[in-house]
Amino acid sequence: MISPAAAHRNLLLFVLPALAVYLVFAVLPLATSIVMSFFQTNGVSGDTFVGLANYVRLFTHPTISARFWNALLNNMQYFAIHLIVEVPMGLLLAALLTSGKLARSEGIYRTLLFIPATLSVVIVGFVWRLIINPLWGLVGFPLLGTESTALTTISLMSVWQYFGIPMVFLYSALLAVPNELVEAANIDGAGGWTTFWKIKFPLIAPQFGLIAILTYIWTFNGFDLVFALNGSAPGPNYSTDILGTYFYRTFFGSSGQLADLDLGAAVATIIFLTVLLVTAVYFWLIQRRLKSYSV
Amino acid sequence: MRSMRVSISLAATLGVMFSGGVGAAFADPVTITLNSWRTEDIAVWQDTILPAFEAKHPDIKVEFAPINTNEYNAAIQSQIEGGAGGDLITCRPFDVNREWIKRGYFESLEGLPGLENFDKTSRAAWSGADDKAYCLPVAAVLAGFYYNADIFKELGLKVPTTSAEFIDVLQAIKKDGRYTPLAYGSAESWQLAYNGLYSIGPAYWKGEEGRLGLIDGKKKLTDPEFVDAIAAFEAWKPFLPAGQESLNYADMTQLFTLGKAAILPDGSWDINQATSTGLNIGVFGPPVPKAGDQRYLQEMPDMGIGINAKSTHKEAAKTFLDWVAGPEFQELYVNAAPGFFAMSSKPVTYKNKLAQDFADLKQGAELTPRLALDRLSAGTPPLDDETWRLLQVMFTKSDVTPQQVATELQTGLASWYGPQKK
Repeated sequence: MISPAAAHRNLLLFVLPALAVYLVFAVLPLATSIVMSFFQTNGVSGDTFVGLANYVRLFTHPTISARFWNALLNNMQYFAIHLIVEVPMGLLLAALLTSGKLARSEGIYRTLLFIPATLSVVIVGFVWRLIINPLWGLVGFPLLGTESTALTTISLMSVWQYFGIPMVFLYSALLAVPNELVEAANIDGAGGWTTFWKIKFPLIAPQFGLIAILTYIWTFNGFDLVFALNGSAPGPNYSTDILGTYFYRTFFGSSGQLADLDLGAAVATIIFLTVLLVTAVYFWLIQRRLKSYSV
Repeated sequence: MRSMRVSISLAATLGVMFSGGVGAAFADPVTITLNSWRTEDIAVWQDTILPAFEAKHPDIKVEFAPINTNEYNAAIQSQIEGGAGGDLITCRPFDVNREWIKRGYFESLEGLPGLENFDKTSRAAWSGADDKAYCLPVAAVLAGFYYNADIFKELGLKVPTTSAEFIDVLQAIKKDGRYTPLAYGSAESWQLAYNGLYSIGPAYWKGEEGRLGLIDGKKKLTDPEFVDAIAAFEAWKPFLPAGQESLNYADMTQLFTLGKAAILPDGSWDINQATSTGLNIGVFGPPVPKAGDQRYLQEMPDMGIGINAKSTHKEAAKTFLDWVAGPEFQELYVNAAPGFFAMSSKPVTYKNKLAQDFADLKQGAELTPRLALDRLSAGTPPLDDETWRLLQVMFTKSDVTPQQVATELQTGLASWYGPQKK
């Protein structure tokens, strides 16, 4: 029997390797990037501390701020579409998979439905671009080339790719619902519909909070699909620009555009805070309360 | 081949080690690094160009170290500012490079004998505010129109020389109905500017006269010559394929190479792609507004090479650049990478027929770089980005006029560019 103090020490020792990697490859770059956002690293003359100047520029320059708010609003829409379409889709498919109606083919369907989530975004973007290509594809209307439909189109491609994730979450939660409860409900005369909504659904409800917050984190750190489809100045007229592409454009520049590392660092910090604050609020306020409700 | 080179250099190294490094003939070669954004050129440099140089200068080894195009500017900026970076840096044209010069990234090239092979206009894209040269001009790209000669023959069409003839040709192809007149779409906004407006526009704004006029503040984008140019570009709209709003660059090229479209407005860099299916293809230059008008052609300085101010091998780097300035390199490079054109005043022969045709378009034409990349894009909003965006808006919406595009471009430019503020 080891003493609590020794157990504590051992615990630290075991955590150390992971902690070291995390510190060096995640915390340190993040901290450096935040520090950088307070500097003007312009030229070989060295770095000058400029306080909040980069942030002031980000939020007050007519063009820079307009593009930023546009990207933020687009990102919210991108998130909302994911939430509204992906979650009900995941729930429906998870419910069908666990309904027992599929019998032995359940495993096959589960795998098939999850496959898109394992594909590379470049492939997803390429395939969908061909499918909806007005020249060679199935849809005559230029979905990606029209301002009002472009963002929704890209969001739905992303939904198609990732609906497997909420599906798997809800699927495993549904499997964890104790059979006795379902049987008891059946004996009480509840049909499949009632059992699902009155027994199963309340038990898996806590999953929705988790799925929502994960979707939030993913979509606000989103970048790859938009970049793969539309590059770093996603049009038309920046209608598919999200925070990730906005950051990329600012930080990396382009052939005719200087890379603005400092402003880019400020954008990255704002994205980080946007994700951090909402996630923190969620965990403090909602997730803790939900825990007491789950079985 | 490679293993032989490795074993030779291994033997050389061992030789040096055993002789105590005294043997002058076997002295360790200096190795210099060349940074570039042309990852696709690795083979060209490693197999063709560098061996040719090293054969002449066995004391210098050059290592070609490309960086991903999209990350090139950021990578170079952070490397040089951190005191690193290659000995030789490939230079972006105009504004980006001007800022890099201002930040002291480059060693001045004044006094380099090879510089004399280039005239002032060719050097302009890479000179500093002090008018001194900081990068050696390496290659330029041209923009024009590829056309399917068989379709032209079948429909009895002649290569157009004026704007009116150009529209007539498009009309005739459209009327025939079997082919798309223009393989062109607006999903990728950059090429609306680079292969569209900046290609046909100079004939309206008189090339350098209009471009420098904007830089001096003597002209405005709302002046008739610019609005007319935008209007002439908008006139292409009825001749684009259905759903052009969603067609990207690859789609357009494909439409043309499959023989389904008659004309592809594109840059010289696409020569290999455009001819990949073996069609009978020719090129023509941008049409002029009226018969007998001066012809203009977009010649865009694309890359130069400069010396990192912090390099420890400046002499070796200068030797290399001097060789790059000479005819041997120029011919090797432009023939290994068809679509790129030498900027030197010494004549160069192109082995690729279409490349030679492109080069011939320069005869009798006044050359001008892309409109908005010199000074006019060094602030926010950059004129170039705004041009991409607004041309795309004009091509994807039906209710935006050339006049509105010009007005919005001018407003954006005047919001930060000194000579245009009034």
